[in-house]
Amino acid sequence: MAESLPRVSARVLLPKASFQRVFDNLQAAGFTLLGPTVRDSAIVLEEITRVEELPLGWCDEQAPGKYRLEKKRGSRYFDYGVSSHSWKQFLFPPRRKLFSIEKHASQWTIKPNENGPGRRAFIGVRPCDLNAISIQDHVFVTGEFRDPHYSHAREQIFVLAVNCSRPSSNCFCTSMKTGPRATSGFDLALTELPEHFVVEIGSEAGSEIMRDTGWQLATAFDLGRAAQVTEQAEERIDREVRTDDLPQVLYDNLEHPRWDEVATRCLSCTNCTLVCPTCFCSTVEDSCDLRATVSERTRVWDSCFTLDFSRVHGGNNRPSIRARYRQWLTHKLASWIDQFGFSGCVGCGRCITWCPVGIDLTEELQAIRTKATP
Amino acid sequence: MAEQPIYDGRFVAELSPRAQEKVFAEAEMIQDNAGTIIFRAGDHSQYPFIIKSGQVVLEISVPPKGRRSILTAGPGELFSWSALVEPRVENASARASVDTEALRVDGETLMKLCEEDSSLGFEVRRTLAKVISSRLIATRLQFLDVFQVG
Amino acid sequence: MSVAFTPMETRLPLDPMLPQPAVIQAIQPEAAGISTFTLKFSDPAEAAAYRFQPGQFNMLYLPGFGEVAISLSSDPNEPGRLGHTIRYAGSVTRAIGRLKVGDVIGVRGPYGSAWPMEAGLGKNLVLVAGGIGLAPLRPVILAVLRERQAFQRVVLLYGARTPADLLYTAEFASWQEHGIEVHPTVDIGNESWRGLVGVVPQLFYRIRVDAKQTLVLTCGPEIMMRFVIYEALARRIAKDSIFVSMERNMKCAVGFCGHCQFGPSFICKQGPVLKFSALEPFFGREDF
Repeated sequence: MAESLPRVSARVLLPKASFQRVFDNLQAAGFTLLGPTVRDSAIVLEEITRVEELPLGWCDEQAPGKYRLEKKRGSRYFDYGVSSHSWKQFLFPPRRKLFSIEKHASQWTIKPNENGPGRRAFIGVRPCDLNAISIQDHVFVTGEFRDPHYSHAREQIFVLAVNCSRPSSNCFCTSMKTGPRATSGFDLALTELPEHFVVEIGSEAGSEIMRDTGWQLATAFDLGRAAQVTEQAEERIDREVRTDDLPQVLYDNLEHPRWDEVATRCLSCTNCTLVCPTCFCSTVEDSCDLRATVSERTRVWDSCFTLDFSRVHGGNNRPSIRARYRQWLTHKLASWIDQFGFSGCVGCGRCITWCPVGIDLTEELQAIRTKATP
Repeated sequence: MAEQPIYDGRFVAELSPRAQEKVFAEAEMIQDNAGTIIFRAGDHSQYPFIIKSGQVVLEISVPPKGRRSILTAGPGELFSWSALVEPRVENASARASVDTEALRVDGETLMKLCEEDSSLGFEVRRTLAKVISSRLIATRLQFLDVFQVG
Repeated sequence: MSVAFTPMETRLPLDPMLPQPAVIQAIQPEAAGISTFTLKFSDPAEAAAYRFQPGQFNMLYLPGFGEVAISLSSDPNEPGRLGHTIRYAGSVTRAIGRLKVGDVIGVRGPYGSAWPMEAGLGKNLVLVAGGIGLAPLRPVILAVLRERQAFQRVVLLYGARTPADLLYTAEFASWQEHGIEVHPTVDIGNESWRGLVGVVPQLFYRIRVDAKQTLVLTCGPEIMMRFVIYEALARRIAKDSIFVSMERNMKCAVGFCGHCQFGPSFICKQGPVLKFSALEPFFGREDF
């Protein structure tokens, strides 16, 4: 007997033919949909309105420094791993005006930028990325200071998560304990089957969005098939990363010769920090009009790999690529743990895929762990 | 035990043959390729070194300006005298600027020897004082920046 | 509309990046290229509410130019007049240097950790400063002078490049009179300088303190602080009793921008004042 709305934490079966109804319900509730779509030979995250815009039948092949898309026949909407885009660009935008100031004699009129992006639904959030969002929440919302734009935007997000069926060869969420299945932090979590989705209801908002979608309670058989998807995803992940000796193993090896070695390969191009879903460094730009009466302050993304990052008057604290690569890796895998209580890495593998010279941070960690030859 | 190389480096030359024999009894020859960092400032100072061939640059990192060289040491010269002076911590980094060969002696063993044999101890200390004193005078001259115009 | 969704219209909370306008009350030249700017918030409520502790800093903002982190150098018991000793070094500080009394600067703060005043109660304080590093230690001296009996010996070891670079020299006699032992030195003397010549860490040889009862507070060039720590440790002062004020590139001062990190510490939050025992694995490490 069908109830009109499923209960929170229920698991239901949704026919793929009704998936558009989910999109329609979200849009009717005022949500702009952001989700994966194919553009420029990659899967990007953009505004979408129709299910047909999802990468139906697309697969990806990833390796260190390599990303390829291939169209296969099939009915799968989410049969690929993560791509260069992550959800951080929507909560922590690459450029955001902070405020403007109008000066008249000694009178200052300060106008904070209070424009918010409104309600948005993230379609297809992978468990690693869910974790990454939660990590950035700790930086911008629940720390000592709060970023008002981030927290406001965050409250307005609807999360439609998707449990992975085909992780890429660069993934290692299993080692970082962030996937391949979402366990919390979502409004809906989908596991894709050939003709259906098994949907876990994560919140009342999620339940609401299932209205008139023809959902039915999932049977034990359905749940079994969903569990199989996750098992297969876990088996597909062959990258294993040891984390039990972090942060100490990196703190103890700050002069390891491997840092010199990786510095000969690293271009300091900042790709890794751009694609990393947890990297949060930023800088500010100040500009003013010709009469210097109206000025603006804008926050923009920054990267610890830039030469300017550690510039102070009189010099630079990290002038070499060796120093900057060491900073990035020890922050991501070690100091982050002391700062926030958990690792900064979610095992999404993006930095490995999008590094133009194919540096693999898991390989670097393992090499440093190995004792230096005297 | 390796053959005793003889240098006319100041430290060695001022020691009596008996002292030379005792000091270098357990000496080890090491070879470092150009670019090798032999020790870093702040490291525990374990060995005094005497260069046989090559060149070692002593540098101090002055953040945020970076590394500044303060002195070079060449064949016959002693570096890391701090291995023989408490608290035995390096105050500068040492880097081989060319392929370098140097003799090193375990500082702790030598200090113990000096304590047991007070006349050896006196000789080593007297010679060391001369090395450090000449370094100090050189440092003062460097610091006075005598080549500065105006 | 279902109550399950967060309401669309909600007021954003206050942005910690917003500056408050403050008026320049006084500009006191201290040394070549260094002046102390005394500021007062334009908003009386803000002026009345502001408090700071010795060692903390403000972000000073000139619209169109940028922001700089400047330590407070005035008396924490007089928070209505906030002193900032500024060296004209980059484009923002040089622009500040062109301002006059009555002009407005944006201020936000205070940020950062404070010198261990409470831990120092009943103990000896050895303050070791180099150059402009005396500025963030001056509030300690002023706070001590208000409660001199609460501390044992209070010693200032201070040096600068030349006599003209020494800060606050007009106050030394008064400090000395009220129980602060002041030992100034310079790297390079001149004909009229009758004081000590030599580097700051060597000043330790002029004093003798009971290591168990002493805190060392130091601020200056990192290389100087390294040798100060060396001298303090050589005198058996505990690593827990040595406090260092660190400086790094700062863009936000609230732990968001990531620039000021030094190992696991954000210099804007866990610092700028850090215990040496916490810093030890990283301090003095090249290019860190």
